[in-house]
Amino acid sequence: MSARRLLRWTAIAVVVVAAALAAFVSARLLSGKTGGPVQVVKASPDAVARGKYLAEAADCAACHTAPGGASYAGGLGMASGFGTIYATNITPDPDNGIGRWTSDDFWQALHDGVRRDGRQLYPAMPYTSYRGMTRADSDAIYAYLMQLRPMKVANRITELEFPYNIRLGMLGWNLLFLTDDLPATSTGSSAAWQRGRYLVDVLGHCGECHTPRGPLGEMELSRSLKGFALGRVAAPDITPAGLAARGWAPASLGTYLSRGIAGPNSAFADMHRVVVLSTRNLTADDIAAMTTYLLGDKPPAPAAETVGEGNQAGRTSYVALCAGCHGLDGKGIPNTIVGLRNNSTLRLADPRNLIVATLDGIGPQNFPHRMSLPGMPGFADKLTDEQAAALVNYLRAAWGGQKPDVRPSNVQALR
Amino acid sequence: MSGLSRRRLLRTSLLGGIAVYVVPLGSRAYAALVDDRLLTAPAVDNGSLKYRVDGRAKVTGGKVFARDIRARDMPHWPQQQAHALALRVTMADRVYAGFDLSMLGADLRPDRVVTAADLARDGFAFPDFYGTDMLLPEGKTPAYLGQAVALLIFHDFARFRFAKDKLQFNDAVIRYGAVTGPLQRDPWGAGRFVRVGGKTPADGDVFSSTRQAPLYISTYDKHRPAWPKPSRDGDLGEQAMFYAQAIDEELTRPPADWLVVTRDYATQSADTAALEPDNANGWYDAARQELHLVVPTQSPQEVAEGAAGMLANSRLGLKRLFLHPCFTVGYGSKDHSPLPYYGLIAAAYGDGRPVRLAYDRFEHFQAGLKRHQFSMRYRIGVDRKTGLMQAFQADIVSNGGGRANCSDALTMVAATSAASIYYFPKTDVAATAMSSRALDCGSARGYGALETLAATEIMADEVAGELGLDPIELRLRNVLKTGMKNAQGAVPVGQQRAETVLQKAAAHVLWTGRVARKQAYNAANPGRYYGVGFGCIQRRFGDGAQCSLAKVELSADGLITLAHTGTEIGTGTSSGQAVACARWLGRPADVLEMAATDWPELPVETSGNPHAMAQEEQDRLAKNPRWVPAFASASSASNSAYYFTHATQAAARVVFLHGLLPAAVAIWGREVKPEAARWRDGALTAEGFEPLPLARLASDAHARGLVTGATVHVFNRWQWAEAEFEIDGARVRLPVDALSLRRGAAKDWRVLDRRAVFLPPTRNNNAMVGYNTCVGTLVEIAVEASSGKVLVLNHHTILECGNMLVPELVSGQMQGCLASGIGLALHEEMPLYEDGPGNGTWNFNRYYLPRGGDVAVWQQTAEVLPPLSDSEPPKGMAEVVMIPIMAGIVNGIAHAIGHRFRSLPVTPERILKVLG
Amino acid sequence: MSLPMRKVTLTVNGKRHDPLDVPEGMMMIDVLHEMLGLTGSRLGCGIGICHACVVIWDKDDKTSEEVQTCITGVEFFDGKRIRTIEGIAETNDRGEVTLSPVQQAFLDKFSFQCGYCTPGFVNAATVLLERLKRSPVAKAEVEATVAAALEAHICRCTGYVRYYQAVRDVILATPGLTRDSA
Repeated sequence: MSARRLLRWTAIAVVVVAAALAAFVSARLLSGKTGGPVQVVKASPDAVARGKYLAEAADCAACHTAPGGASYAGGLGMASGFGTIYATNITPDPDNGIGRWTSDDFWQALHDGVRRDGRQLYPAMPYTSYRGMTRADSDAIYAYLMQLRPMKVANRITELEFPYNIRLGMLGWNLLFLTDDLPATSTGSSAAWQRGRYLVDVLGHCGECHTPRGPLGEMELSRSLKGFALGRVAAPDITPAGLAARGWAPASLGTYLSRGIAGPNSAFADMHRVVVLSTRNLTADDIAAMTTYLLGDKPPAPAAETVGEGNQAGRTSYVALCAGCHGLDGKGIPNTIVGLRNNSTLRLADPRNLIVATLDGIGPQNFPHRMSLPGMPGFADKLTDEQAAALVNYLRAAWGGQKPDVRPSNVQALR
Repeated sequence: MSGLSRRRLLRTSLLGGIAVYVVPLGSRAYAALVDDRLLTAPAVDNGSLKYRVDGRAKVTGGKVFARDIRARDMPHWPQQQAHALALRVTMADRVYAGFDLSMLGADLRPDRVVTAADLARDGFAFPDFYGTDMLLPEGKTPAYLGQAVALLIFHDFARFRFAKDKLQFNDAVIRYGAVTGPLQRDPWGAGRFVRVGGKTPADGDVFSSTRQAPLYISTYDKHRPAWPKPSRDGDLGEQAMFYAQAIDEELTRPPADWLVVTRDYATQSADTAALEPDNANGWYDAARQELHLVVPTQSPQEVAEGAAGMLANSRLGLKRLFLHPCFTVGYGSKDHSPLPYYGLIAAAYGDGRPVRLAYDRFEHFQAGLKRHQFSMRYRIGVDRKTGLMQAFQADIVSNGGGRANCSDALTMVAATSAASIYYFPKTDVAATAMSSRALDCGSARGYGALETLAATEIMADEVAGELGLDPIELRLRNVLKTGMKNAQGAVPVGQQRAETVLQKAAAHVLWTGRVARKQAYNAANPGRYYGVGFGCIQRRFGDGAQCSLAKVELSADGLITLAHTGTEIGTGTSSGQAVACARWLGRPADVLEMAATDWPELPVETSGNPHAMAQEEQDRLAKNPRWVPAFASASSASNSAYYFTHATQAAARVVFLHGLLPAAVAIWGREVKPEAARWRDGALTAEGFEPLPLARLASDAHARGLVTGATVHVFNRWQWAEAEFEIDGARVRLPVDALSLRRGAAKDWRVLDRRAVFLPPTRNNNAMVGYNTCVGTLVEIAVEASSGKVLVLNHHTILECGNMLVPELVSGQMQGCLASGIGLALHEEMPLYEDGPGNGTWNFNRYYLPRGGDVAVWQQTAEVLPPLSDSEPPKGMAEVVMIPIMAGIVNGIAHAIGHRFRSLPVTPERILKVLG
Repeated sequence: MSLPMRKVTLTVNGKRHDPLDVPEGMMMIDVLHEMLGLTGSRLGCGIGICHACVVIWDKDDKTSEEVQTCITGVEFFDGKRIRTIEGIAETNDRGEVTLSPVQQAFLDKFSFQCGYCTPGFVNAATVLLERLKRSPVAKAEVEATVAAALEAHICRCTGYVRYYQAVRDVILATPGLTRDSA
């Protein structure tokens, strides 16, 4: 997987913390534990099922299960500019996993970002979001994980270079940025809205990708969920205004979260994994709660569909390379090819994702309910920067309602 | 139009008053028509075939498929190609109320629209086999999803293409009226096969399909079979039910030492996914009252007869029909397919232009014949102490969809195959072919047996598991041995080799090492779970009325020409038949004409239904020395290797015995027994005599007026028809039922009326199983728990198929079938109804076909058992190899994760559900 | 008829087709089949999955690439050079045809049955050989390289084994395509 969390924070955090180091003598560090008894957790099947559901809602597998690897046995690498951080084995293996962890230890990791051995986690582990998790939910996830088959899969050593490898540095970072409550991004008070807020902000940790990050790698909470490019594909603005501007309404958003495909939109890149591993498993009530929170108790009216005139050069490329599947009229093919008319990606003000999809293509993807979309070829070698910019501008103007303001240099920058 | 003058070279038959010319593309006849050649002379290396005879054309992108043909490729056709598409309903629970083409505007309007009203007016209707409503009239509820309602014809490609863009996937095109619910119709057929054996497998049966009769019914109660009331002293049907009831009671209240296992199995609706989508291209020449049709078909004879009949019944007043069957691929989906008839209709309304009706993949999914979905309830009683199976009860239901097609026959094959390699003292197998609003189903590869056999082999492992027996050991204890009766009470022909296959599998390292390998693999691959599974089946090939004609001719310079009724369907039939000549003529045929349908050399007559006729009727008809029970079989049912080869070799043998050998004897100056003669490097030798090259013998045979050509008709109803002929003053008994000869350089053929004929008795129809091919596959898999994927790591297949004609073709067939079996076990699936292919939105994105990475392409191995003797005939083996790997994978998954899946395919979602 | 028309210049198998009038939005496979009479590039799925329709695009930088003609408009090929299956074998002045090594290998190994997918496999393997000529692969990597190059191609008859083996053997037998070590 690409860098889900581009760890910019490491850079400057270390500087901050180098100064703070002397000031903080970590009680937690001293209280770290190694060894200890292997925990035996007895939980009712219902409790385990609840834990499984919550683990899916929290999308633990997205990082803790490597593609082709054992479930929750870790190993997924997250590249950053400073090295690679590997998600750990959270199966109950005593030596490699969390077999000796108590529910207190587990809670401490989720809530404070501190491992059982007292060392700091890097916020690639989204304790920054999980901090809002109830103790009961943490315990349920713990109970579920503890009854998994223990996997003897050794943890890979996170490969950060000095000085970023000084975990203690995170103490200062946490002091500055770890907060109990993330600000609400919509208006509401209903029970669904409250539940949705918990699902979106805490369990789903949506902000970890969708909230812009500041100079220290922290979530800029004043711009929560307004969209950010952590990796190659940006996580778009999912505030009520941002969603409505791209035509999203509660029903389509719910369909998207539970099936991955809604109207002309299909989840791709990291969001595809989120749907497949996490949101597809949520109950209809929880999906509705998420959409209620994302759009607010009173959802804004979705922007009307727009059709405009595109530039001729862009249309020529569209006809040459895209129309074969997406159709001359951009309608796509039911159950086969997404439409481009009013496709959410075309309606993003930031052309980044459209450029990236045009250059890289999108691999074949399976979705819930035996739905599959064929791969889309990338056109990096078939389009010059000028042609790609013209094509993207054509799409934006024709079916995205966006300004055709993409320049060849924007394309060049993403090659 | 130069080709027209050459028509005198073509052979004709008269069907329903219409002269029918069947001229396969690529044939010599076609070459005479349009100056083209696709088949290269076989390249031979030491008597074996170096390349497929159609290989060069295929590897260079030659026009070998019907799909490749346009009007411009037919020099005698008008060159302007028109294009047609079909409009189809996507709902079948409400009244069809017409269509709306307004979205096309003036520019894209079709030049001709054909509806049910046109067909009714002009007297066009499907051949009976396909049922009614070739195009659905307004006001009726569709019989099935995807039923055609109209053909739109466009005189040029561009408007066709862009009009199709607007119509396809557009829900506004078809209008619907009141919701009626889907049509409820009776099943397409139902039958029951009951057997109670004697004390031992060698004793006579108390009751069986062969001794008494199978039970076929045509009465239904609320669309379910109304089986007769059981009665020991009633008619045969009531007697069958009496014994069926007794078996049921015994399984319901079994003896104390019996274990009774009851399981439900299901297989999926599937598409054979032949890569060439269905198509046809035809031209109606009103001035000459001729219709020309290029079609991909596995059954050109059926199309010729059906099309001629359809045209004869119409008001077209047609005089001549030119049918051009092409190389094709269908895996059963182009055998008795309705598509050629739609192509014919399109041509008839072409206003003088050739019309091409060529589906894209979405349309092929929406209209192509499908594989039947099967549900099976099996019950097996087994003696706990001995592990010997005592009774088998099965209730098999197939879903045949909207048209009957072959559903009835196929489902009866499914039923009579279900017992597979096992001997059961008692069996009761009931089978029903349901009708439904699903797409119509055809003779998909395996012809019903694939489904029931896969289930049997999954169940064998379950029974072994319940008994705590090694699965192969259980199979060995119960395997049907030579001389034992099958579930119909018939003794399969030839030596039964399943036991050998089982023994080989049991000794294979994949099996013997499976426990240790599992430990090692699981330790090295956390999160993956290793398993080894096995499946072994035997499958009959042929359909109980196999027949063909073959002509072998020698020119004076030793050129061998072979003409045969068999069609090339991509499997290498033509190559195999060319090679089959070598046994008697020393090398493969030089010139081939496959799919030949007109035989002035040997005019035979046929009437009656060979599957159903009474013995008295056959006896009466057989008095006519020109009468044969059936004319020629389609290329299907894995019939080419065994049945087609029989005709080729029978003809070649006559040429050898009555042409080449006498010529050699004359040169050598001494009598030589046929079995003492040997071909070496293209020359005949015996007992140290001078080797005589074929060319010299041929020239001599021509000079002496010996036999230089033989045309034979052969017929098989689980045994070969034989007849006596008088040749050179001697009575000769040959395994053929009609024969004509050409002598010396004569142009004319002389038909030898048979002096006596020995046709297989009609009661053989009850046995339904005669020739078997056996195959077993061991498969090594790993389940990836996090994704639910099943990885096929390796597999090993053990096949017996007699003497191989072309070993490379056999191995290629096996590898292809294994990939198809993997597809059906793990990947391929479609919903039957509204969300299924009838909605016109299915393609290979959702219908996943195995790729190279899914089939253990570099690891897989196979072995073919040595033939029992040099003279053991080659046996049909194509589709059988698909089946054991399906069960093997399911059994391997059980070994890996301890869960036995009972419905196919085993998709990641289903695995994840089980793993939790 | 008032479909919008475009003029395109195609070079197919070395033959230049000077401006062809084609309706806007025509897929290349339709132009090959209906206008140029080249039907060897086969329609399997029409949505870019099965790869039976691929042609070889000869780029100006001397590299080559497979392109699915079922989903690529003829406009893309305007001014470009392509090879179709009909142009892979060499034909001399006397009309004698010499198969390419890949074609010969497929024939020798009985790699295909129905042959519908064969043009796609020939073109994919041809592109692979041309790539390996520019950047050889370690002998130990040949099987994986072949598998990766052919993985997208669907075959329903012969289960891939004989295609893959044929391409592997051609690569191993052709000097300059492989290196002894990684």
